[in-house]
Amino acid sequence: MSEQTNNNIALAVSRRGLLKFSLMGSAMLATAGVTASLTGCSSSMPQDGYKVLRKEDVAFLSATIPVVMQGTFAADKVAESTLITLKSFDHSLAHFSPEVLKLVQQLFDVLGMSITRGPLTGVWGGWENASPAEVANFLERWKNSAISLLNMGYGSLTQLIPMAWYGNPEAWGHCGYPGPPTI
Amino acid sequence: MRLPRPADHLTTTQQESTDMPVPDIFRQGMARGWKTHDGSALEQDLTLEADVAIIGSGAGGGTTAEILSAAGFKVLIIEEGPLRTSDDFAPLRENQSYPALYQEGLGRMSKNGAITILQGRAVGGTTTVNWTSSFRTPAPTLKHWADVHGVTGHDVDSMAPWFAKMEERLGVAKWAIPANPNNQVIADGCESLGWKHDIIPRNVKGCWNLGYCGLGCPTNAKQSMLVTTIPATLDNNGELLYLARVNRLLIDGSRVTGLECVGMDERCVAPNGRKITVRAKHYVLSGGGINSPAVLLRSNAPDPHQLAGKRTFLHITNFSAARFEQQLNPFSGAPQSVYSDHFQWHDGAAGEMSYKIEVAPMQPMFASTVLADVGQRAAETMASLPNINFMLALGRDGFHEQSSIGSVELRSDGTPVLDYQMTDYSWDGIRRAWLSMAEIQFAAGAKQVWTVHADAPWTSSWKEAQATINNLPLELYRARLGSAHVMGGCAMSEDASMGVTDSLGRHHQLENLSIHDGSLFPTSIGANPQLSIYGLTAKLATQLAERLKA
Repeated sequence: MSEQTNNNIALAVSRRGLLKFSLMGSAMLATAGVTASLTGCSSSMPQDGYKVLRKEDVAFLSATIPVVMQGTFAADKVAESTLITLKSFDHSLAHFSPEVLKLVQQLFDVLGMSITRGPLTGVWGGWENASPAEVANFLERWKNSAISLLNMGYGSLTQLIPMAWYGNPEAWGHCGYPGPPTI
Repeated sequence: MRLPRPADHLTTTQQESTDMPVPDIFRQGMARGWKTHDGSALEQDLTLEADVAIIGSGAGGGTTAEILSAAGFKVLIIEEGPLRTSDDFAPLRENQSYPALYQEGLGRMSKNGAITILQGRAVGGTTTVNWTSSFRTPAPTLKHWADVHGVTGHDVDSMAPWFAKMEERLGVAKWAIPANPNNQVIADGCESLGWKHDIIPRNVKGCWNLGYCGLGCPTNAKQSMLVTTIPATLDNNGELLYLARVNRLLIDGSRVTGLECVGMDERCVAPNGRKITVRAKHYVLSGGGINSPAVLLRSNAPDPHQLAGKRTFLHITNFSAARFEQQLNPFSGAPQSVYSDHFQWHDGAAGEMSYKIEVAPMQPMFASTVLADVGQRAAETMASLPNINFMLALGRDGFHEQSSIGSVELRSDGTPVLDYQMTDYSWDGIRRAWLSMAEIQFAAGAKQVWTVHADAPWTSSWKEAQATINNLPLELYRARLGSAHVMGGCAMSEDASMGVTDSLGRHHQLENLSIHDGSLFPTSIGANPQLSIYGLTAKLATQLAERLKA
């Protein structure tokens, strides 16, 4: 990551007005994504035990899943439920078309690299250390952002995460679903 | 082979199931010697020859294949997706069916990511996973095509026998069993308001009324292409190549000389390096909206008026959820059995955007995405799933010049994506549809209604819902939008400056290429499109067979 890009992003973020232009936001995100791939800021190898998700992706999702699913996961099974959701999320991504997967990975790049994560999510210290309140704040910010790419990111995350959970029998008790009939 | 059990035996399904399994008629056919090729398992490159090569095995491709093979032609069907049959569907697990059976592994969406597009991708195409609603093309739609889009010969009277033929072939009949409570909400609400509503015709035989049509029918009751026209084609010396993508048409002047295909991996995610070359006398493109124009675009097919992929329609769909005191169990029972066209033609074919009102089945994985939200509110909504009614409105796009429409583009890897642009005209229809749905839901006795929009709260009265809806910002990402009906993109028209094909599906520039699928439609249909595709392509295929014999 060059010093120049770093400064540009910092500048853009310090003048929040600039972020109103979604075009500029998009360009910034694209720059961050491309830079990430070119400089190896984000690893490309899946984490052990996953088909697609990388180390940084797992860290991000491990922090975000319990917040999106807060109130859904049983209080004494948050870690276990988060892991089930992560595995199913990974399975879904492994079946997406390459171009759709690329979009999701660009989103994860932006969320994973400190250079973009801090300014765009308000989480400055890494996902491992993010509090649920910080994560909730980030989600709310993306939901209401003037940058359409962030709205899209919010929409994707808040659909893909519940979807990954509710495909599993462990999820069905909460929603009163008796499970499929036996043929 | 035993007869399918009727739906009124549903309560004893579990007891009977151990000793009376459903025969997997497709696997039985393969065991009898049907000629099939699995593109993911080829050990070397392959060349296949046929009289007619059909690209796509959905409503258009399946119908065409049966008719041409019955007329004595050697038919090859090429399907990009996997072969999955009733035994595979039997677990009825959403997390197995969605990644396998839907385009892009259920990841298909509009280019801006704001509209989820549900489209099948498996042997049988979307007919393998659709919810079985079967309507003839509405008369005003056919008239509009003749009046505005240069379509000839497809008026109501000349289409009627073709719809009748396919209704007979696929067991289409009004659903005779009482609607499930999710559907009954439309009937109750409309009854109370004095609005029109009716029973939906479905293409099923011996349906068990389970409600899992979207995951592939485990009992072979749904008369999809997978269990009707494709088996008939294979019984008639036809061949099926699956997990193979048609990369491009090989074109020499005004003729298609072959198809260049690539084998796909078994997940249908990426090409596996195997090449398949197909040679035929005639080629039929039946990939459906988005994929058919994409084949033309990848092939640099002659397109003097730049029409391929333009004017693509979605029946842009918005949603309204309602909570009832009593349990509706919206995950059980025939998914769609009641509809309302009260606001479908009220302002003429080309007036303000109008819509068809139906419901969606709510198995939990699907439900969690359409009801998506965060934290406690999401938890409470999903916890009330058994009490939820989920209504949708299919926006009739493409009839008015201000309507939202889409355009198919190719991404860097050659795969298509739909750029769909909303307009004020269409947003106005979206708002009115939210109002209509909430009004029906409260009239049917709903305790609460949620207009599925990021800024809408659960409302407790029709008056409150009305005030809320009238103030909602009409914005992408805040309003949840979807589509399960991709149409258009290779419009038919006698005027070559308006259509990719003529009214008989003959490509205007390529003499041995026909297009037989929903991409031919010059507008959306104004009803779930499968029977429109069956009827039209049955007619086109019958005439094609006559021309090929001449």
